[in-house]
Amino acid sequence: MGRAATWLPAALWAAGAAAQTARVDFARDVQPIFLSRCAACHLGENRLSGLSLHTRADILKGGQLGPAVVPGSSRDSLLIQRVSGFSAPSMPMGAEPLTERQIAILRAWVDQGAAGPSADAPARRTAPLALRRPAVPGGAENPVDAFVAAFLARQGAEFPRPVSDAVFARRVYFDLWGLPPTPEQLDEFLLAPNREPLIDQLLANRKNYAEHWISFWNDLLRNDEGVVYHGARQSITAWLLKALEENLPYDQMVSALLNPTRKEDPAGYLIGVNWRGDINASQVPAMQAAQNSAQVFLGVNLKCNSCHDSFISSWKLTDAYGMAAFFANEPLEIHRCDVRTGEKASPKFLFPELGEGVGGSLEERRAAVARLFLTPENGRTPRTLVNRYWRRLFGRGLVEPVDDMDAEPWDADLLDWLAADFAAHNYDLKRLLRQILTSRAYQLPAAGRGDESFRGPRYRRLTAEQLVDSVSSITGQWRVLQPTRAAAGTYARDWRLKSTPLTRVLGRPIRDQVYTGRSEEPATLQAIELVNGDTLRRLLSRGAQRLLGTWKQPPANIFDSGAMRAEKVTVDIDITGARALRLLLEDFDSYDPERVVAGWANAELVSPAGITRLADLAPSAKAQKRALRIKGEAFAEALVTPVPTELVYDIAGKDYTRFRAVVGVDETSLQNDINPRVRFFVFTEEPDRQHLVRVAETGAGGRGSGAGASAQQLVPRLYRHALARAPTAEERRLAEAMDLEDLLWSLFMSPEFQYIR
Amino acid sequence: MGDGLSRREFLSGAAAAALAAGAPRQLWPAQAKLEPKADTFILLWMAGGMAQTETFDPKAYTPYESGLECNRVLSTFPQIDTAVDPIKLSQGLERIAKVMDRATLIRTHRVGDLGYILHTRHQYHWHTGYPPPQTVAAPHLGAVVARTLGPKHPDVAPFINIGQNLEIGGESDAVKAFHTSGFLGVEYAPFLIDDPSQAVASLRPAYLEEGRFRARQEGYRRLLEASPVLKEATDYQQESWLRSVENAHRMLASPAAKAFDLAAEPKQVYDTYNTGKFGLGCLLARRLAEAGARFIEVSSEYIPFRYWDTHENGHARAIGMKRSIDAPVAQLVLDLEERGLLDRTVIVLASEFGRDMMVEGKPDKRVKDQVSTSQPDTMTEPKHYGMHRHFTEAGSVLIFGGGFRKGYLYGKTADERPCKIVDKPVTIEDLHATIYRALGIPADLAYEVEKRPFHVTKDGKGKPILDLLA
Repeated sequence: MGRAATWLPAALWAAGAAAQTARVDFARDVQPIFLSRCAACHLGENRLSGLSLHTRADILKGGQLGPAVVPGSSRDSLLIQRVSGFSAPSMPMGAEPLTERQIAILRAWVDQGAAGPSADAPARRTAPLALRRPAVPGGAENPVDAFVAAFLARQGAEFPRPVSDAVFARRVYFDLWGLPPTPEQLDEFLLAPNREPLIDQLLANRKNYAEHWISFWNDLLRNDEGVVYHGARQSITAWLLKALEENLPYDQMVSALLNPTRKEDPAGYLIGVNWRGDINASQVPAMQAAQNSAQVFLGVNLKCNSCHDSFISSWKLTDAYGMAAFFANEPLEIHRCDVRTGEKASPKFLFPELGEGVGGSLEERRAAVARLFLTPENGRTPRTLVNRYWRRLFGRGLVEPVDDMDAEPWDADLLDWLAADFAAHNYDLKRLLRQILTSRAYQLPAAGRGDESFRGPRYRRLTAEQLVDSVSSITGQWRVLQPTRAAAGTYARDWRLKSTPLTRVLGRPIRDQVYTGRSEEPATLQAIELVNGDTLRRLLSRGAQRLLGTWKQPPANIFDSGAMRAEKVTVDIDITGARALRLLLEDFDSYDPERVVAGWANAELVSPAGITRLADLAPSAKAQKRALRIKGEAFAEALVTPVPTELVYDIAGKDYTRFRAVVGVDETSLQNDINPRVRFFVFTEEPDRQHLVRVAETGAGGRGSGAGASAQQLVPRLYRHALARAPTAEERRLAEAMDLEDLLWSLFMSPEFQYIR
Repeated sequence: MGDGLSRREFLSGAAAAALAAGAPRQLWPAQAKLEPKADTFILLWMAGGMAQTETFDPKAYTPYESGLECNRVLSTFPQIDTAVDPIKLSQGLERIAKVMDRATLIRTHRVGDLGYILHTRHQYHWHTGYPPPQTVAAPHLGAVVARTLGPKHPDVAPFINIGQNLEIGGESDAVKAFHTSGFLGVEYAPFLIDDPSQAVASLRPAYLEEGRFRARQEGYRRLLEASPVLKEATDYQQESWLRSVENAHRMLASPAAKAFDLAAEPKQVYDTYNTGKFGLGCLLARRLAEAGARFIEVSSEYIPFRYWDTHENGHARAIGMKRSIDAPVAQLVLDLEERGLLDRTVIVLASEFGRDMMVEGKPDKRVKDQVSTSQPDTMTEPKHYGMHRHFTEAGSVLIFGGGFRKGYLYGKTADERPCKIVDKPVTIEDLHATIYRALGIPADLAYEVEKRPFHVTKDGKGKPILDLLA
């Protein structure tokens, strides 16, 4: 690697330079570029190749390769050569290059003499705290459109025409319900395509709305289903679902989360996610609360400065502790890099201009911090929420990244106007949605990617939950939410159930971290799972049966013990007219099922003629007669089988009316390394192993889209349901010739289905 | 017209896996690139806390006697000779003993001091280099290797994880927490195979025989071609999607996929490895390494209180566990050596901590006993005989191949209780730094997440132990 060379022809330089005649300001224009694109290697403790871009003096001094800039000559400046890609390695190394505009700014800065303050601390843009209430430009009914039109005009771009009704319907159904419109719903809308009433109609369905948006909030608040919750972690699902169903105003949501006072408030949020044992001082629950609340509600990153003063922002260690002190049970001692400093933290809000720190009890401090987050002077709270919603609906926020609300919005006026309007109208989340969804901007065709400026909504990938729910809604095959006790299961949308390998690979996060956005990039592993995975396969196989009307209702059990460990359960059921008796002992996640000793004690069949012991009937090789001791009671003779086993008895014509028994696990199996969890069932016909537990066939489940139809009728329906359009003649021809499962798979694998356009 | 390849080109297979836009940047430290000694990494994970004095660091043998004080027992097996004179192993590892002349044995692996000893917490620490909780989703070292070195063969998933079922009851969430590529992105997530004997089903759709599978792909292609929507808009997102589908198909159909089929192995070889799920996992790992996988983990599987997690009956259970690893591990080494691959493959056998009969945690700390089955002071039943407590001070790590020294013993633990480290402790970050060094990865390599560097060893402070490398 040599020193800065000037071997490049002047023509090339001229071609690359964008017109930049305005005076470039170091702190306002240049430093933000370094901070956002170069900091990781050339700021703070990092001085790769000896170069720091911290201050002007550092830059002029340069690193191992000499001065980074030659004031007055961008052509001779190594820094400019590197960022322009004229000298290798180009900078930022191994990443997306700077935008043309950024390169032009740097070039202009150097050519204008590389002037600047010699202040030490990196000046960084901080968003103004208070909201402005900018005047709405004229020219459009919806203020969002007024601002967007003005923005587009400044770019020299036109306001494109809105999308067709069908495309709009698919988009808005997914955005409000997380489900595609059924063909009926689509047709109904297309007959009288009034978009605003459709939006209102969708918003009015509390259940569908809440069950979609809860995933958005679960990601932010680290809440999940199918997680083992014990003392150090608590679910907030009940509160959250209700908050969404009742459209609880956002400020009340935040208040309940930061300051849970009533029994039904979400205490789990502040309890956080904890690991037993010694943990780093920066991760105690109060610090977690401070970090997550600052990130989620204010768009401030306190993670770096939870251990030391931040290298990438102006936040200090004492700022993180100041926030944590609002949430701490006991006085918090400040630790720097996990070493005690001997100083105690006192409550101090990140923005002291909003209010004094407060002492007192934990309740008082929590109440105080909730007020500070939500005081009208704190424009960050509504701005951050508005930006998150904008990003959710458009694919890219007004500010990016969404967790850094100090970054420059592409339209600060629009952002502030929306935030102020949101706050002024009771922090009504549905109203905010309505404001955005009824705009023409939302109805623009999908366009743009990467850092490109706003041209309309982006193409957005269906989330894991949207995908699985769509498949379920189209095929009629839903997942079943099974209670552990012996009660019927219910069909449920995917969010209610534990994540599966399919939903995890598609992006449903493990919620031990805060997730404020999911990656939409397709990955090979996702494709492999979709092509070959069991979860989708089973869904499609049964779904196809439902659609063709060949779905057989699985037999219902006549007895279900519920999940059992050490309990003793009595069986006493009517079996009049049964031709067979099928006794199942199933494993439900024992640590070592092979060593579980469990069985059917005192099993007997009652008939008018008398009582027959089951043990006296034709013996099964699988069953062993031996004593059991269940929950303190001794049973001299029981039928013990391996776990899992099904015992089948032919009782046709025998007049048996009742079957009785006592079931349970032998006490000797109650060991740590066996950890038995079993379940007993009785059936009178061969059961469907995927449906041992009863399902209440009401609500979401049952029939799929046009179930029982012929292939000819199905194909147009499937296209309308999955893609919101009719198939072309050629598509029809191909689709009708395909096996239904193959067709379903092909439709769900098409990018047209996977993306919202 | 959008940029990039046309949809037609993608569908015809002219695709290459590209870095996802927006994936975390790699921050290469200023020093010159390191020359790798190895290009494949196989991790043989002894989950549950493998008792080191019953395996690779045997101490004085005391046979079982009812009424014997537990404190008198350090090892419950006699020692055996190995191919390297001063190195002794525990009885039951005869085959591994024969290949110790290809091995580096570290007896002084000191893991983190995390207070209450939760297996999954230590497993997370070992697999990511960072003790949880962390403020970002920390990547598994397999994902780090996959991301940094890339796939070895484009048709073989770079990061494969064999043997650990993720649904294990109470600690499932903790196990899932580190079986992830974290912030590095889904492209480097582990390809999970729970049961190696069923591995072939992971790639060959078990439910669709060959002809049907191809028919489905054909139908899919034709439908896409017929779509008016896709015709009108070639878009980056749609192309990315089709590219990943194309990659998946290539992987599923490639000759490399045959590596997943254990039935293709000659019966004699299969039987040698077939001591159970772990043994077959070693066989699968060998086949995958040959086919071009970059990182393969074979776990003996963590299920609380099972397998290596001996909280009682330690002696009897250690017999079974050693039998399950002895032949497969030795055969894996010999097979790779025979194929000329051992020198370029790092094989590491490790566990999240060791065990002792009496000491829980580190010798100088008082950590509450973790389980209800207490270790009495005197043995009265055979189930008391064995190493039943978590010992975080010292454990054993066995390394083969990949540029590591041969027939080399590193570190010494005390011969009396507590069996503390006497010489040359090896921390997790230094162990990782050494392995990474063998692979050509600097210990202070970092990836950018939330604008700050996240290092592949904890805070970039791992130091490779050059003494371990040939």
